[in-house]
Amino acid sequence: MKILVPVKRVASLDDEFELNDDGRDVDPDFCEFDLNEFDEYALEAAVQIKEAAPEGSVEVVVLTIGPDDADDVLRKALAKGADRAIRVDDAGLEEADRVAIARVIAKVAENEEPGLVLCGAQSADQGNAQTGMSVAALLGWARTAVVSKLDFTPGAATAQVERELEGGLVERIEVETPAVLTIQLGINTPRYASLRSIKQANAKPIECLTPHDVGLADAEIGGAGALSRVRRVFVPERGRGEIIAGTPSQQVARLLEIISEVNG
Amino acid sequence: MIPSGIDPSKVTRILFQDFSPWMLAIFYVYAIGCMAAFAWGVYAQVHKYRAGRRGTRLAWGDIGRRLLDTAKTIASHRTLRRRDTTAGRLHAFIFYGFTLLFIGTATITLQEDILGPLIGLEFWHGHFYLLFKLTMTLAGTGFICGLLYMMWRRGWLKPPKLDYARPDRTPQDADFSRERYRIEDWAFLWTLLLIGITGFLLSGARMVWLQNDPAVWDTRWWAPVGASIAAGLKAVGFTSAGAGALRMGLWWLHGVLALTFIALIPYTKAKHIFTAAASWLLRNPEAIRHLPLGDLDADRIGYRELGDVASRYLVQADACTKCGRCHEACPARAAGYPLSPRDVVLTLREQANTHLGEVLPKPRAAGCAAPLIGLATGEYRPETLWSCRQCGACTEICPVGVEHVPLINMLRRTLVDEGEMDPALQRTLGAVNKTGNCFNESRRKRPNWTKDLPFKIKDARKEPVDVLWFVGDYASFDPRNQKVSRAFARILHSAGIDFGILYEGETTAGNDVRRVGEEGLFQQLAEGNISTLGDCSFNRIVTTDPHSFNTLKNEYPDLGGTYDVSHASAFLKELMADGRITPARKLDFTVTYHDPCHLGRLNKGYDAPRELLAATGVKLVEMGKSRDNSFCCGGGGGRVWVPDPPGTTKVGEIRAREAAEIHGLDALVVNCPKCMTMLEDAVKTTGNERNFRVLELTELLAEALEPEEPAVLPAHAEVG
Repeated sequence: MKILVPVKRVASLDDEFELNDDGRDVDPDFCEFDLNEFDEYALEAAVQIKEAAPEGSVEVVVLTIGPDDADDVLRKALAKGADRAIRVDDAGLEEADRVAIARVIAKVAENEEPGLVLCGAQSADQGNAQTGMSVAALLGWARTAVVSKLDFTPGAATAQVERELEGGLVERIEVETPAVLTIQLGINTPRYASLRSIKQANAKPIECLTPHDVGLADAEIGGAGALSRVRRVFVPERGRGEIIAGTPSQQVARLLEIISEVNG
Repeated sequence: MIPSGIDPSKVTRILFQDFSPWMLAIFYVYAIGCMAAFAWGVYAQVHKYRAGRRGTRLAWGDIGRRLLDTAKTIASHRTLRRRDTTAGRLHAFIFYGFTLLFIGTATITLQEDILGPLIGLEFWHGHFYLLFKLTMTLAGTGFICGLLYMMWRRGWLKPPKLDYARPDRTPQDADFSRERYRIEDWAFLWTLLLIGITGFLLSGARMVWLQNDPAVWDTRWWAPVGASIAAGLKAVGFTSAGAGALRMGLWWLHGVLALTFIALIPYTKAKHIFTAAASWLLRNPEAIRHLPLGDLDADRIGYRELGDVASRYLVQADACTKCGRCHEACPARAAGYPLSPRDVVLTLREQANTHLGEVLPKPRAAGCAAPLIGLATGEYRPETLWSCRQCGACTEICPVGVEHVPLINMLRRTLVDEGEMDPALQRTLGAVNKTGNCFNESRRKRPNWTKDLPFKIKDARKEPVDVLWFVGDYASFDPRNQKVSRAFARILHSAGIDFGILYEGETTAGNDVRRVGEEGLFQQLAEGNISTLGDCSFNRIVTTDPHSFNTLKNEYPDLGGTYDVSHASAFLKELMADGRITPARKLDFTVTYHDPCHLGRLNKGYDAPRELLAATGVKLVEMGKSRDNSFCCGGGGGRVWVPDPPGTTKVGEIRAREAAEIHGLDALVVNCPKCMTMLEDAVKTTGNERNFRVLELTELLAEALEPEEPAVLPAHAEVG
């Protein structure tokens, strides 16, 4: 049985950064890139299932969509216990939104036929929390979002999962497999991938595919397959603040002034 | 010397006098049996050591110097006298007594069994014999005095370091008890003492037995202890015949004890006679400042199983005499962490004895596969390994040259490879990998501390400089340490030094990443920095950070980066000696100085900081633990990144309290950015914030350099 773990190379921003000329994204020069933290938990959950099963019976496949720079996160995933890595090149995916990305993942899932798809609950940089659920919708599989506990024996017809609700409630769900689950932080303790194991993972091949290779039609790729489009990214103007100084009566006078100003 | 009328050739001891042939036969059979047992024991130990990995860095070209150093160290007992002078001196009594007695016995064997039968050479009589007797008496007396002191020390003084309590185990654990060692210690002392005492009694009994032979009786005072015993025996009514019977009994007791002792040497703590010398000979004198370069492509990067351990460390484990100096010096142990360097060594010894055999060698393949790390009996627990600060206090004080620091580091490499570590540490290593610094800050921010300076520091990547200042993480990113960095920059600037930094191009030097056990990341960082430095033109490197200093100086050469590296304190001392900086006023403070491990113990930089302090005019009051015995701030070995568990004493707090004992203290002077962070915190948590400040040596010096009235900064010297 296979477990497919789609992972994302996410950006974290410097304190100071600049936007691209088109104003629709941050200039990558001002970003540090790393494996999405949520995906680390999803990967760890998959690797723990594999390690609990008889040796060789479970294969953990990691998938990412991006340029060859994204191989870094696949290497890290391989170092952390994934068996095989696939990268779908993002050429032609510039205008892709999370649904268009989900189309790629869903196609790979159809080809690989995993028993489970484990996604991070969301990405650390964009936080849509939609990709995983979109994959499930496209595949028509059972799905559960924001899973905080996962109990699954490879080959079983169902997985037992738990979700945390408001007020300390826990919801226990039985999900039919194959299923798509999105994994919450804290479900486990992701292991550290030492630099040595990452270097050793360099020796493992990464399967590199194009969207066409995985079986997508032109009408499903990139902007054509997207349901939304980013118009602008910007930093909103900050609200003003003022510290009112002086004697209590001066302060009251200034406060009244501000109130009348705001009320117009 | 020899009374007249006595033939000098008769002045001797007739060996086996009045022994029947079967007695002689029994004796020789037993003696040869004991030698065989000894030889078998040596074989078993060597078999055990050879199960370890090769690859000691013992260069054969160096062997002469090493042998000489070993001989000197043993002869002077230098390392045994450190921090335990009396025990060291009395050990010298035992050592020299034992050695002389052994040489004495060997001399007799030489004549009786070798030279006599072969070439008929007989020398053991006459004046030589009398001097021999006197020497043996002196040796035996010293030997017994030493042993009695050791018994008194163990039985009555009971120093805590000898109680063998294991901080890494609880009484519920199967391997908690060290009772076996305690029994062995006493058996060892008693056996030696009985050998010594029976030797003297035997000497006295023989004199009474042979009282009618003037060659014996009239020369008896050459063995004054034996002669006194003889007088006593006569006084209580022993006749010649009675004494003869006593002599026969004592002879056998003494002989059997001595031979049995020899047979048991390889199987008991007595083996330290050989292993301690071997350990010192094989030791790496660089052990604490220069960790072994790991092969990232090998099957294993660290020690996971017994067979991974270097042979040298297995010899060292057998050399340990449980003297407790490392146990006493260890800051983690003092703060109540589950670590004692002594138990790290003994655990290795016990694993090797259990799985490879101490008496009967066991199959090597199975023994080598015995796991080292885990929660089972006899294994290293991960929390023990993570408690270590890699401060080197244990290795530095070990009288027999055990290298605890690299041993623990090699075990940690396995933990890191398996990803078994504190989540906080995991986050830090992740950040270092991602951003090149342990603050998880953007690379761009590294030079931000320079923005408040009234001058621009040169970018060493863009123009040649004389001095390349490697700033380091804490000095770059930590707000408190940034002040120190600016103070150092101002000193260099006003002294007209042509210096530059690497700006965004610097990444953490990796000293502590390596000490954590993340060898792969260390090598990546070092290779990155070496490549950056390779593109720059400079004459020397200076750093205020002793951790960066240590790895740049001692460890980068392994990866192809060899530089002239100085710590800021040594560099400033040079500037002062050259007259490029001169204190403008005397500071009226009482201070104490905390030696950073990486500058002091690891690199012997004890004096330059003190000379700078003296130049500022402050009154320096030393703490009890200073220089080589300095006490870690708690931040070494990557522990600066791992929070201490709630409820534990922080290592730094012990240090802050020690400083607080100094009457009228104004400042605790540190000389390392990590010590600054750890001790400033500890001074607060021990409630000493209002009693004294924590200051960097550089800050103090900067203050002394400034005249009372701010002067105009001298013009910056021309670029060299």
